[in-house]
Amino acid sequence: MKKIWLLPFLLAFSLAASAQGKPDFKVGDRLPAAAGKAKTAYPETSWDDLLPKGWDPLAAFKGLDVSKLSDSDPRADEALRKLRKAWDAAPANESMNGRNIRIAGFLVPLEWGDKNLREFLLVPYFGACIHVPPPPANQIIHVIAENPAKGMQAMDPVWVEGTVEIALSTTEMGNSSYRMKARSVSKYKK
Amino acid sequence: MTTAPLLLLEDLEFRWPGQTEACLDIPALRLEAGEQVFLHGASGSGKSTLLNLVAGVLAPTRGRVEVLGQVLGELSAADRDRFRVDHVGLIFQQFNLIPYLSVLDNVLLPCRFSRRRRERAGDARAAAATLLRHLDLAESLWRRPATQLSVGQQQRVAAARALIGRPELLIADEPTSALDAARQEAFLDLLRRECVDSGAALLFVSHHRRLERGFGRALAMAELNRAPAEAA
Amino acid sequence: MRALLPLALKSAWNRRYSLGLTLLAVTLSVTLLLGIERLRQDARDGFAQAVSGTDLVVGARGSPLQLLLYSVFRMGEASHNLGWDSARALAAHPAVAWTIPLSLGDSHRGYPVLGTTSAYFEHFRFGDRQPLAFAAGQPFAGLFEVVLGAEVARKLGYRPGERITLSHGMGGEGLAEHGDKPFTVVGILAPTGTPVDRTLHIGLEALEAIHLDWQGGAPIPGLNIPPELVKKFDLTPKSVTAVLVGLKSRAAVFAMQRHVADYRDEPLMAVLPGVALSQLWELLGVAEGVLRAVSALAVAAGLAGLVAVVLASLDQRRRELAILRANGARPRDIFLLLALEGGAVTLAGALLGLTLRTVLVLGLGPWVQAEYGLVLRADWPGSGELYALGGVLLAGLLASLLPGWRAYRLSLADGMTPRL
Repeated sequence: MKKIWLLPFLLAFSLAASAQGKPDFKVGDRLPAAAGKAKTAYPETSWDDLLPKGWDPLAAFKGLDVSKLSDSDPRADEALRKLRKAWDAAPANESMNGRNIRIAGFLVPLEWGDKNLREFLLVPYFGACIHVPPPPANQIIHVIAENPAKGMQAMDPVWVEGTVEIALSTTEMGNSSYRMKARSVSKYKK
Repeated sequence: MTTAPLLLLEDLEFRWPGQTEACLDIPALRLEAGEQVFLHGASGSGKSTLLNLVAGVLAPTRGRVEVLGQVLGELSAADRDRFRVDHVGLIFQQFNLIPYLSVLDNVLLPCRFSRRRRERAGDARAAAATLLRHLDLAESLWRRPATQLSVGQQQRVAAARALIGRPELLIADEPTSALDAARQEAFLDLLRRECVDSGAALLFVSHHRRLERGFGRALAMAELNRAPAEAA
Repeated sequence: MRALLPLALKSAWNRRYSLGLTLLAVTLSVTLLLGIERLRQDARDGFAQAVSGTDLVVGARGSPLQLLLYSVFRMGEASHNLGWDSARALAAHPAVAWTIPLSLGDSHRGYPVLGTTSAYFEHFRFGDRQPLAFAAGQPFAGLFEVVLGAEVARKLGYRPGERITLSHGMGGEGLAEHGDKPFTVVGILAPTGTPVDRTLHIGLEALEAIHLDWQGGAPIPGLNIPPELVKKFDLTPKSVTAVLVGLKSRAAVFAMQRHVADYRDEPLMAVLPGVALSQLWELLGVAEGVLRAVSALAVAAGLAGLVAVVLASLDQRRRELAILRANGARPRDIFLLLALEGGAVTLAGALLGLTLRTVLVLGLGPWVQAEYGLVLRADWPGSGELYALGGVLLAGLLASLLPGWRAYRLSLADGMTPRL
């Protein structure tokens, strides 16, 4: 009679298997670089590599000692606004154009096609766009997946492999941005 | 002329697990091919145990059971089951038939499990038909479910089933005890005639002494079995 | 083994009433399990297919999910609108490639009416970047012209050239009608499998026009502006419910989102449809999990009943098994016989359950589509359903081992002559 207990156990197991794991990241967390396991065809790249040389993300705060400002000093707000504008127009690193890279980030879904994720934005840290201000334009990659990725959710950490392009666009919102045709999109594992 | 005996029991002892006393202790028993033997046994004399040992359902605690030259103890349990259906036909006192199967399907049951009997029967359905006719069962009954027949008819169907495929040994355990006196003799005659026809040996067990008449040999459990009988 | 199958079938037929009832239980529970899977899968697909190529949905500040559900799926109510000036400023922004303003509020015989511009037919995409196609006719150009979704035209039997009147507000029966300003059907869209099919599309100006002589939801008594004269009035809309926005560069979506949020003249928000959908599914995921657990328990109950029935039959069948043993069945044959019975009923239940689910989808599908805009597909089971079926079969097979085992032990103990 003991065997009857196999039944609910099996069912519970199948239910548990279908439940998706939640990422336990905090807002602002970045993904640590993976040790070893380098595929030479798609070398691992860090987000810093996407910044052009000499571009300082915090240039707007140069010369401003924030600790010396009183609360609600308009200069702090002004600096923040300048920062955001600079970030929106952040230039791309020209040398990345046409390079094959492998990079880890968090995904922001754009286009769901028939159960799977076809297009998304890749950002360096968790919570971008939901809780925290978005990253500079040269730290966002617009990814189009060759093989749509299954089972993804917003803010899932993923490894993406593919070829980077720099797309030119002459708008107020920056002159250029990164695009990538992804050969593979996989869930992030250390 | 020495031919291998059909059935040979030597120094046979059986004790139920946990019992100190053996319930069966038979120094020797021998049956020849085609022999018809009456075995008298009252309840508790150990006859059921003996039949189970001969059929290979039970294994003796000492001694050997040899059927057609094959020592049953040398076979695995599954092989003993196969051996039994290949060579032995069984008739019990009652509840012989599978209630939801037709008469014909009941007769053909051993052929399902034994290839040897299926082959020896040839055209199994025709062989079944022949047997049923010999045993006085009208064709109109053949497709009916077994439960619709009278007890007497059911016993005759059981006989047909035991005989199909011409097994070498037929064991009948009180097959007439559920029949009324008038039919008992008739059934016995039919059975004995069919065994002669197919060449099968017959081991007929009963506690009715008067059925002994007509058998070539008569034995008694009380003489055969050295172990004391259980209280009935 | 082959010898056992006909025996097993005949034996099962002999006990067809009790086995039939457990078969029914297993069938119904499998139907429930598969039905929920199908609903879940098709709902997800339906949501995902409804909007494509839209970078942002802009509306009055509030709940992002509510805005998405209302503007794209026509579900629920809008809390606030955004002003026409804001919509125009949005369209003028250099980063914006196109905008589609949307206004909801009226209905026609239960179907929602959408006020929009010709940009809708040009830029709106669904599914896999598919544009809207016309089955008949063309987009609206004149004032009182309407384009019908495929389902609306089919259900109500409308053709190009027919005239219809719209009702004020949503709800179905008993609404006040804009009877004096009928619309002409000029186009019917090809089916999309999205809420577009059950929508009627008119121009924003037309929406203004029919409400000219209305105030607060009812016609102003004594004031009646005939259709010919409406053009003399300013028909620029005052507000819209939402605006769909397409950007020149998709990567600029965050910057645009912040720009909308910082807009000084009005409290607005911009929603990324992909992210909002993801959040919707997380929400639904909880409900889905509960439903799946419930249906799994139902299957477990059905299988437990099956095992109980087969076990209960064992007592009656001891003689039958002893007869089989006497006639050549080995204990393992007895085991197989019993296990086969449970396994066969499970298999039959699974297949019947699948059939019943298909029948239900075929039967109820059109109604669900008309009521909720959700397309239920009756084709072959998807991967989710196949896993569910596999799980049921596995569980049933394992459960059937129990009576098989019990019969095996009994048969060993009983031999040819059961001690009853």
